[in-house]
Amino acid sequence: MWQRGYHRAVSSLSLRGIRKTLGANAILKGIDLEVPDGSLTVLVGPSGCGKSTLLRTIAGLESPDTGVITLGDRDVTRAEPRDRDIAMVFQSYALYPHLTVRENLAFGLRLRKEPEKLIRARIEEVSAMLGLDTLLDRLPRDMSGGQRQRVAMGRAIARRPKLFLFDEPLSNLDAALRNQVRVEIKKLHATLGATMIYVTHDQVEAMTLADQLVVLSAGTIEQNGPPLTVYAQPVSRFVAEFLGSPSMNFLEATVAKDTRTLRAEGLSLTLDPARFVSLKPDQRVLVGLRPHDVQPALDGPAMLTLAIDVVEAMGFEAFAHGHVAGSHFIARLSSEAHALPKPGDTLGLTLADDRVYLFDPESRRSLARSVP
Amino acid sequence: MRAWLACCVFALLFFTQSHASAQPTQRTVTLWHAYRGAEQQALEQLIRSFERTQPNVRVSVLAVPFDAYASKLEAAIPRQNGPDLFLDAHERVSSYRARGLIVDSDAVLDLARTEASGAGARLSASDVFEQVSLDAFSANSHVWGAPLALKCLALFVDEALYVRAGSPPLDELESLSAFTDGRLGEGVVPLVYYASNAYFHAPILHAFGGSLLDPADGRYAFVGERAERSVQFVTQLQRDHVTPQELDGAAVSQMFRAGKSLAAISGPWMLGELGDRPVRIVALPRLRQTGQPMRSFVTVEGALLAQHAREPALARALAAFLVRADAAQVRARVGRQVVATRAAWSDPALAQDRTLQPFLRAARVGLAMPTHSNMRLAFEPANQALRRALRDPAALRVALEAGARRFAVGTRPLPPASNPLWLQLLLGSLALTAIYRTVQRARDPVFRQSVRASRTAYAYVSHAVIVVGLLVVSPLVVGALTSLYAGRDGALSYVGTANYREILTAQGAGLLSSGSFYAVLLVTVLWTLANLVLHVSIGVILALLLSRTWLSLRGIYRVLLIVPWAVPSYVTALSWKGMFQRQTGAINAMLHMVGVEPVSWFASFSTAFTANVLTNTWLGFPFMMVVTLGALAGIPQDLYEAAEVDGASAWQQFWLITVPLLKPSLLPAVAMGAVWTFNQFNVIYLVSGGEPDGGTEILVTEAYRWAFTRQAQYGYAAAYAVLIFGVLVLLTRALDRVTQGPARPKGENS
Amino acid sequence: MTPLQRPPPLPWRMAAHAAVIAAVGFALYPVLWVVSLALDGAQRPSGRALPWPVAPSLDHFRAVLFAHSREGTWLFARQLTNSIVVSAMTALTAIAIATPAAYALARFPKFVGAQSGTKALLATQMFPGVASAIPLYILLDKLHLLDTQLGLILVYATTAVPFAIFQLRGAFESIPKDLEEAAMVDGATRLQAFVRVVLPAARPALAVTALFAFMSAWNEFILAATFLSHESAFTLPVALQRHVGEYDAAWGRFAAGSIIVSLPVMALFYALQKNLVGGLTSGGVKG
Repeated sequence: MWQRGYHRAVSSLSLRGIRKTLGANAILKGIDLEVPDGSLTVLVGPSGCGKSTLLRTIAGLESPDTGVITLGDRDVTRAEPRDRDIAMVFQSYALYPHLTVRENLAFGLRLRKEPEKLIRARIEEVSAMLGLDTLLDRLPRDMSGGQRQRVAMGRAIARRPKLFLFDEPLSNLDAALRNQVRVEIKKLHATLGATMIYVTHDQVEAMTLADQLVVLSAGTIEQNGPPLTVYAQPVSRFVAEFLGSPSMNFLEATVAKDTRTLRAEGLSLTLDPARFVSLKPDQRVLVGLRPHDVQPALDGPAMLTLAIDVVEAMGFEAFAHGHVAGSHFIARLSSEAHALPKPGDTLGLTLADDRVYLFDPESRRSLARSVP
Repeated sequence: MRAWLACCVFALLFFTQSHASAQPTQRTVTLWHAYRGAEQQALEQLIRSFERTQPNVRVSVLAVPFDAYASKLEAAIPRQNGPDLFLDAHERVSSYRARGLIVDSDAVLDLARTEASGAGARLSASDVFEQVSLDAFSANSHVWGAPLALKCLALFVDEALYVRAGSPPLDELESLSAFTDGRLGEGVVPLVYYASNAYFHAPILHAFGGSLLDPADGRYAFVGERAERSVQFVTQLQRDHVTPQELDGAAVSQMFRAGKSLAAISGPWMLGELGDRPVRIVALPRLRQTGQPMRSFVTVEGALLAQHAREPALARALAAFLVRADAAQVRARVGRQVVATRAAWSDPALAQDRTLQPFLRAARVGLAMPTHSNMRLAFEPANQALRRALRDPAALRVALEAGARRFAVGTRPLPPASNPLWLQLLLGSLALTAIYRTVQRARDPVFRQSVRASRTAYAYVSHAVIVVGLLVVSPLVVGALTSLYAGRDGALSYVGTANYREILTAQGAGLLSSGSFYAVLLVTVLWTLANLVLHVSIGVILALLLSRTWLSLRGIYRVLLIVPWAVPSYVTALSWKGMFQRQTGAINAMLHMVGVEPVSWFASFSTAFTANVLTNTWLGFPFMMVVTLGALAGIPQDLYEAAEVDGASAWQQFWLITVPLLKPSLLPAVAMGAVWTFNQFNVIYLVSGGEPDGGTEILVTEAYRWAFTRQAQYGYAAAYAVLIFGVLVLLTRALDRVTQGPARPKGENS
Repeated sequence: MTPLQRPPPLPWRMAAHAAVIAAVGFALYPVLWVVSLALDGAQRPSGRALPWPVAPSLDHFRAVLFAHSREGTWLFARQLTNSIVVSAMTALTAIAIATPAAYALARFPKFVGAQSGTKALLATQMFPGVASAIPLYILLDKLHLLDTQLGLILVYATTAVPFAIFQLRGAFESIPKDLEEAAMVDGATRLQAFVRVVLPAARPALAVTALFAFMSAWNEFILAATFLSHESAFTLPVALQRHVGEYDAAWGRFAAGSIIVSLPVMALFYALQKNLVGGLTSGGVKG
């Protein structure tokens, strides 16, 4: 049966200086990336950031203008897709409409002229693993979206490639199914131990799945690292805003004379000077506060004052939407402990821990000292 | 892989080309003909005996469909792919002669005379052949064909009705008018013939001393007092109910066979359709009014020696064999031909033959159809004039004069030849500009890069470009260039844009006068619009009905509704033409059942046009229906649910959802359909044939007439084709505007 | 059940059936006339409203089916074979020529010359054939393809190619690019991806396009009669047209022959009618 690490061929991937221009548009502006053997690397970013193009370049469906792609110890930059020993799960699933599930699963193996016996064995394994047994003789058009998605994954698994590529594989599924399949993919990765690269624009998928999280923006890698590190130590306002739901709140503030206090209308914060590069008096900064990092100021003095417009109660928690210093601001409230405020109320807030993020308003880079 | 596939296909093809090889030791003489039935049988019997007399000779016989016969000869002989000998009617001899397709048959006649003379005194040609047949083939003191058979009109009399009528003398046509009082039976008329056709009218015209064409100078003669009197005579016959109006050839034989008429004027071709009905055949009578006999036009079929024959001697021998007395007797006995070889009639059975003898007598008094090249041009205007005059006796003179004018257009003097230098200069400078432009562009690095990027695509399209360029585009370009030439019967000289000038100025007549380019264009546009509206509306309605799951049997309905699409259009066009026949057609029979008077469908523009449109609607609606069915399947059903929730009625749903969402798939099909309909040849040509008076002719059929029925004026026809192309390009441009304009689907109202 | 598929009240349903049945009658009436002519011993249409043979007999069919040439060849069988070979080869050749070109137009729509080429292709459809018959004859003569079925096939196929290209381009456009890419990632070459994935996915459109090319060759007689000069090489429509003469026609035999000629095409039509509905519109006739 399936054992962890069914192939021990080294299948790390390394990208060096990948550039790609289409017409006048620079899609990829020099990508350097190491994907360790057996890792699940998630490429995340808003649409148009180049993540799909990067994935297609890895697959060999696009060829880079410059740069080197190394898979294992082989330079595959100019290799045909079929010579790269990779498998890809497409957003549209790309199931061959004229072939049954069984034939879809066998397609790649047949092309590689594997013996029929092996093909049969693989199909059995894969269908058992993904619960496709009853669907094997159906055509794609006779199946639901979830079933098709499974077949698409099965088709990739049956090949036992060095590298799995996933191009937003869950975006055509409904929310409940998406959560379920996400967990399955995670399990699958644990079972197979294969190297996987996963493209998504959904930060929940990105956070939950990734061993290595790569945030892309406008053709460059914005930040790269373990997901929790990236979450906790965003290098830029872009990364900070992109990860986390609801998104981080941003307020403009001015550094006071003592260089330890930030002030703005309805805001007064004292910083731990060790965490930030030296701030100058009267310097303007962008303050980032995650909705989960604030809490009502019950005993102590309030650091900021939220004028509430709407309250969303979710049962175990609630989100208060409102304004601080003229900027839109969301605060998470744990609803079981307190009576929820109402629209029109003002609420004094304080920080849960010392989780304040500061960014330069011009460069939008983080002002934290300990950025990796 | 692709190359491999192509190789396979062509290798297979070459294997199927087995018949192309010939045996070297045997000599083969090739004979083409368009005979059918008994005539073909007799011919083949004779060829077998010819082969027996010449052991090393094989005769390769090809029977060609009549519709393709002339064009095949014209294409093949100049390129030395033609026959050695072919059989054709003498009227076409002058055209063949003008284009150098045939050589004279003097030697064949010599052979025939020698053979017929035997030991006795040498016979003259007119001792061997009927005089009229020699007249027919003689020109420039040569004989241009070996006469085989005579075809002319005679009077067919229904034996049973004749006896009931008291066996009256039939030597004067007017004596038939005694039987208009219904004593022959309910609905039985004294005479049927194809009165509106100039060929059938000619005997009456001749009896009035008139003629269609002056045989000497080729002047159009169906105008003036004698012509008028001959038409008035026929009008009187119709007024007196001696003969009904609006009969055509098919209706004549149908009525006569059904015993609905005492007599019929027709040719030998009607013999095969009479079944076992007892018939007496007599030569055409005199006209009491003028005392002159009705002299029929005689068409003589002969064996013509082709230019560029590979076996000229054998061809002559075969021709001489076919006209021998014993061979002629076979043709008469088996093929039921009225043979031109006099000696054949000495056979006692043939001398008594009650069918052939009357035709022979009729032919002897007949007139050989004039061979002047204008003769073929005279029939079309004469037919139109005759039809119009018979329909509207008050406009007799106007109609005849219009015919003369139409003839003058067809035989107008050729435009003066111009120097092709200007054309060469123009083409040369165009080519230079194109080369210059290409070189300029090739220097542009962006362009070069995009060409380099296109190389994969070129690998895919290259063979399509080569094949389509060679076999589709190049003939079209050559065809388009012919539009700068003019000439009749294939002798072309360069005339510049004279053809276009003549067409676009309507040859000096009024711009919208009948038969002018603009008038025909107007009809064509009307034709296209009418068809499109009907195709689309019927197609959409049926598709909407068939897409309803509650409609039981819809699978069967759909299968049956595609039938018109699956049957070859020339078959169904002919079938529809038959149904629109005034006397015998099913449509009038249906109208009769509901008490409507029979309609002469092809007598007026509106009804003839309706008949064409009805036929083409029948042919075209299944395509639109199928396209719509496919498009309907692509409309999400929940849109209708949303609309219903929004309170839209069924009618509103149709206009707000169905129509806007059908549009993107239907518009291309409509554009395609517009082009097809615009160039729909079969329906117009086969159903109305341009009736009445060329009024329902569309541009394509008009071009065809210039190319093939008006002395092969290819240049003029090509100019028409180029103009059609231009009009269509403009039309599709306009359609494109409509498609890509603001009229985007705006149906997402949910 | 959606609004369209909810059965309306009975009178409406009956009206719908009545309308469709009327259309079916309209569609079948002329065909029934041809059938009745073919089955009638007489040679002429009779002036009746109902298409029913007066003296039913199979003589016309017998005469058409068992025609023999002078040399004793069974002409009908020979000409049927010719027609099948010519039409099938026309369809195959047209598809073989049009498919790669249509694919290129669908997948690389912006290559240099694509637009002008498409326009030129469309233009060939607008130029009436009257002017090009004789130049075509000369061309075939020069290529020594006159009087060969190969020449006829080439001419038919190339005239069918422009329409086929439009038809197939639409079909290929509607096939997602992902499919080919998936195949290539799975180990296929571009060609394998095309042959094993794109072509099968375009099967309905290919079938319909082939059917149209087949039909155009199957029904044509003027060019066939002009280019071919051996009776044993003639196709069925040429033989059929031989029943129509200058002065008259053997209507019964013509009708019988028409039915025989039409049957295979109708059979193909019905075999492919599901594809017809899909194949024409799945991007189908995008001009």
